[in-house]
Amino acid sequence: MSPIDFRTSLAGLNLRNPLITSSGTYGFGDEYKDYCPVEALGAITVKGITPEPRLGNPLPRITETPAGMLNAVGLENPGLEEFLRSYVPRLQKLSTAVIVNISGFSVEDYVLMASSIRCDSGMAALEVNISCPNIKHGGMHFGTDPRSAEQVIAAVKRKTDLPVIAKLSPNVTDIAEMARAAAAGGADAVSLINTLLGMSIDIDKRSPAIANTYGGLSGPAIRPVAVRMVWQVAQAVKIPIIGMGGIITWQDAVEFLLAGATAISIGTGNFINPRAPLDILAGIGQYCRKHGFKSSRDLVGLAQMRR
Amino acid sequence: MKINECPGVVRVLKLLNFLTAYQVSYKGCESMLADQEVIINEVLGTVDLGIRKMVLRGPIALEAKPGQFVHIQVRPGLDPLLRRPFSITAIDPERQEITLLYKIKGKGTELLSKVCPGQMLNSLGPLGKGFSLPKRGDLWLVAGGIGVFPLYALAVAAIKQGLAVRLFWGGESYSLLECSGLAMWKELELPVHISTIDGSYGQKCLVTDILDDYLQKYSQGDLGLGPATTGKPVQVAVCGPKGMMQAVTELCLETGLPVEVSLEEHMACGLGACLGCVVTMKDQQGKVRRAKVCQDGPVFRGKEVVWDVSY
Repeated sequence: MSPIDFRTSLAGLNLRNPLITSSGTYGFGDEYKDYCPVEALGAITVKGITPEPRLGNPLPRITETPAGMLNAVGLENPGLEEFLRSYVPRLQKLSTAVIVNISGFSVEDYVLMASSIRCDSGMAALEVNISCPNIKHGGMHFGTDPRSAEQVIAAVKRKTDLPVIAKLSPNVTDIAEMARAAAAGGADAVSLINTLLGMSIDIDKRSPAIANTYGGLSGPAIRPVAVRMVWQVAQAVKIPIIGMGGIITWQDAVEFLLAGATAISIGTGNFINPRAPLDILAGIGQYCRKHGFKSSRDLVGLAQMRR
Repeated sequence: MKINECPGVVRVLKLLNFLTAYQVSYKGCESMLADQEVIINEVLGTVDLGIRKMVLRGPIALEAKPGQFVHIQVRPGLDPLLRRPFSITAIDPERQEITLLYKIKGKGTELLSKVCPGQMLNSLGPLGKGFSLPKRGDLWLVAGGIGVFPLYALAVAAIKQGLAVRLFWGGESYSLLECSGLAMWKELELPVHISTIDGSYGQKCLVTDILDDYLQKYSQGDLGLGPATTGKPVQVAVCGPKGMMQAVTELCLETGLPVEVSLEEHMACGLGACLGCVVTMKDQQGKVRRAKVCQDGPVFRGKEVVWDVSY
């Protein structure tokens, strides 16, 4: 039985497999080490970094919903300076590619982050978060207007020597148009989808269930929306796609690959099963073996060709 | 750019790292995510209060410390999606059993109450940082209602270590205390000071009233606390409703007693990644920071906790 070839090229990165963990669900790479060694992952994406430190939103920040959850953490993070000083040296030692998610409130913020986190930091890529729904005047503005999206991606691209991944918001009418804007701005890849804006009311307290009123919906509940959007974006742009949105099992992951995602990212799934990436990778391998595929790359976009 | 900094070389170095590190860090992966067999899942006291006792058998019992918790998938599938955290009431490493006491409050605990002995529950744990155990002296425990649950394991460990343990426990009524393990506590034969709001058992007052009384005696050097007491308390551990824990913390700090509090918040991952369960802490310089109940706690030093929830 020959081993399945999982190697994945994406935005100039050579990953050992197509499994990535999503920003905001994997801390800074240490949290899951007892359950899932980072060496087993293609890449990890760290919690979104902003120029200044942020305490984030008050509690409650999360609430469970049918087959999903809402969160409004509000980009709690140590800030750029502390990230570079305390976190980057630790991240450099991790035996996996590290994607740094950057967030901001203005083009200047993004430019500052892009000029500060350089290739020689050992970080693998920048994921430009233009889709955070949980902060007022936050990144989502850049993610819902194609012209702003193109501008901010182009500005980041001019300042960095790292590959640039644009993280797209699903809270738009036409996701393909947003992906085209990111590609026009020079993005090397797109990742989608971020959370869907949602809300839940605590009927006992008769008030919104989370302090921020609105939150981002994630988990299996959003998966069909994510698969549809990955499918549409795969038809709209040539740059590779990191597909995510409610991936819990290997079957979910295969669905995203077949829809056209070059790599897949696990988010909320890590919260339920800290070994999820290992289980998913094993499942993809078995699927490939069963159906005669030598590489997980062979699955990418296969459903598109069958239409 | 130096040779060891160019991306291709970095990647090769990382791969080499990976090959050497893989075996090492892969070990112990499964030790903390384990299926635990349900041995007992029964009503404690009267049915209407919805308090239950669950005994789980598995390797978590070998590692668990007082104040830690387990994060349990109450049933397989997507609803409910998230695990539920439960404090550990008793730890028996010899039989590989942990005891959880829980109150049916929502969907998760309702489903958990339906689980039968013999079934397996996927459990993550033990998680978090528990109570510290002083080497010697008196340990005072202060509980509000079902906040008494995690204090039991601490009491047992403290007695084993030769500490003099004293419990202050307040609840709504006798039946709440009875259903929350009063009989278990009586078997420990500790000095127990009980208050109820309705006066159906112990003194009709708040637990903080009794504690205040004892703290005053302590600060005046008029201990007179009976033969179980070897001296003054060296530490106080508290668990209960937030307002009660704040009041107890303030009382203890006024008297100069170190106090540890066990906090609770909704959480998703239990491992410090989702940032759903953060609380606010203030250091001696007054600098405010977030801490995670799941990873940095659930037990925190009372003097650092910022009780104002508007942060």
